[in-house]
Amino acid sequence: MAGDRIPIALGAAALLILVATPGLLSPFLVQFLINLFMLAALAESWNIIGGFTGYASFGNVAFFGVGAYATGVLLTTAELPFALALAAGGIAAAVFAALVGMPILRLKGHYFAIATLGVAETTREIVYNLRITGGGTGLTMPISRSPLPFYYLMLSILLATTLVNWWLSSSRFGYGLIAIREDEDAAAAMGINTPLYKTIAFSVSGGLAGLVGGVFAYWITFIDPEGVFKVSTTIQMIIMAVFGGAGTVAGPLLGALVLSSVSEFLSTQLVSLAELVNGLIVILVVLFMPRGLAEMIRKRQFSLRDFARNFREYRV
Amino acid sequence: MLLTQVLVNGILLGGLYGIMALGMSLIWGVMNIVNVAHGALIMLGAYLTFWTFTLWGWDPFLSLPVTIGVLFVYGYVLQRFLLNLIVRAQLFLTLLITFGVEVVMVNLARIAWSSDLRQVSPDYAAANFSVRGITVPYVRLWVFCATMVLSVLFLLVLEKTRLGLAIRATSEELRAARLTGIPVAHVYAVTFGLGAALAGAAGGLWGMLFPITPVMGGALTLKSFVVAVLGGLGTMMGAIVGGLVLGIAESFTATYLGPTYPNAISFGLLVLILIFRPTGLLGRRG
Repeated sequence: MAGDRIPIALGAAALLILVATPGLLSPFLVQFLINLFMLAALAESWNIIGGFTGYASFGNVAFFGVGAYATGVLLTTAELPFALALAAGGIAAAVFAALVGMPILRLKGHYFAIATLGVAETTREIVYNLRITGGGTGLTMPISRSPLPFYYLMLSILLATTLVNWWLSSSRFGYGLIAIREDEDAAAAMGINTPLYKTIAFSVSGGLAGLVGGVFAYWITFIDPEGVFKVSTTIQMIIMAVFGGAGTVAGPLLGALVLSSVSEFLSTQLVSLAELVNGLIVILVVLFMPRGLAEMIRKRQFSLRDFARNFREYRV
Repeated sequence: MLLTQVLVNGILLGGLYGIMALGMSLIWGVMNIVNVAHGALIMLGAYLTFWTFTLWGWDPFLSLPVTIGVLFVYGYVLQRFLLNLIVRAQLFLTLLITFGVEVVMVNLARIAWSSDLRQVSPDYAAANFSVRGITVPYVRLWVFCATMVLSVLFLLVLEKTRLGLAIRATSEELRAARLTGIPVAHVYAVTFGLGAALAGAAGGLWGMLFPITPVMGGALTLKSFVVAVLGGLGTMMGAIVGGLVLGIAESFTATYLGPTYPNAISFGLLVLILIFRPTGLLGRRG
């Protein structure tokens, strides 16, 4: 499609620059970019189930955490090489998402949202109480010297996640997911195996989040249940995807870029207020731009009227 | 004997879960908002009681009306000037905005009261009595009585007053309610205010039994939700019965399986009820 050429060209150019330059950047900027890649990859992975399939998961941090812990345990206790441990972490998260998804993907709307929230809380509790995960004291990874491998790893996972989203936006399977989002009964009537489609989408979404979690564990060198299973991580995934545009390929990338820059700037200015501001951003995004930045750019809607359109329609 | 003791403990705790869920169920049933900030409202109620108790030495039971009043006004304003703006948008968006409200409230509480554990312990906190070998702390009994009184008052408001009639009418059919002259924006705000007031009361009572922290609300939101679904959404009696069921279930599992999995218990109950009885214990079929 002709309309896709500019974003693809921009994306390719950005990718080339990102691949070529990390050696030239300051350590601070490299850390910022690794964090940005991580959040963007999480937002894109959430987008598969939340954006394309329309199942608003509020518990994807569970899969991030399972990936982090599976990788961490295999790396430290089993002393596997990192590549193997990471692959196993991704697979563990995908399998976990599929198993959890089979019962709870039968729920809809609020029920699904809260059930996923429950999954995340319960997973944290279980990890906290297991002995192999180090319980409440956490796990310490071997320390690696250079940040550059993490830079390239996160970038590759981000690229892979984005490509999955891109494939969804123009494939038979992706159209099936969109059909489920628009009208699940109609999708089923048209012959789509909706339970299978949803479970695969959930599992892929979880597996990718698990890979991110695995890299995160090794990068951050110390993981504990409180730090890994944070509700705020789920919120970041969701709000970045929604702010940029849920169900689009570029949206979550845009959202992650803008919002993580804002929060990075804020946290250097006022550390204690960073999370507070995150909450405010959630509220403002829902009020003023629930359709997302990507959509507004595409339609060039930037007047005050466009920002107010949402609550003109939905207020009482 | 232990069995009875465990049962009594569960029932006494269950009353609190009941009024938490009552507020959640009301807001959900009338406006179709799943209020993720419900736990944060409970937290706010707990801190208000903590404040009046620590600063001015008010008895936590006597300060309850103040907490209820403040939370009602807070809830009213929140709904009237924020949530009403998008109340008819997709479920996902209303849920997300209450999430934002929750994050803001929790972090403001961190700034205002710090993350330390706080406690409201009046001098009668440790007193208890025994009947046939079953020990009952006075505070727990009074807390339970307070929850029952509040539940009955609330049901009376909803069933017997013009306000309750307006709330039920708005809940059933928004447009028709507006046509009959009901100021729906106001009714929505009052509804949220009532839900917040119940949450605040629950928080004030909670603080006498358990420690208070800014992040205490997350698990309580989950429990309120579970109880609301357990009892049957929109049925107010269901919320109270559901609260007792959860209280008893938690009390038994804590005694026989250990206290390490509180959330896993309520979550397990949620999944069971959604699979086997999706309309809840007292809900209508279909």
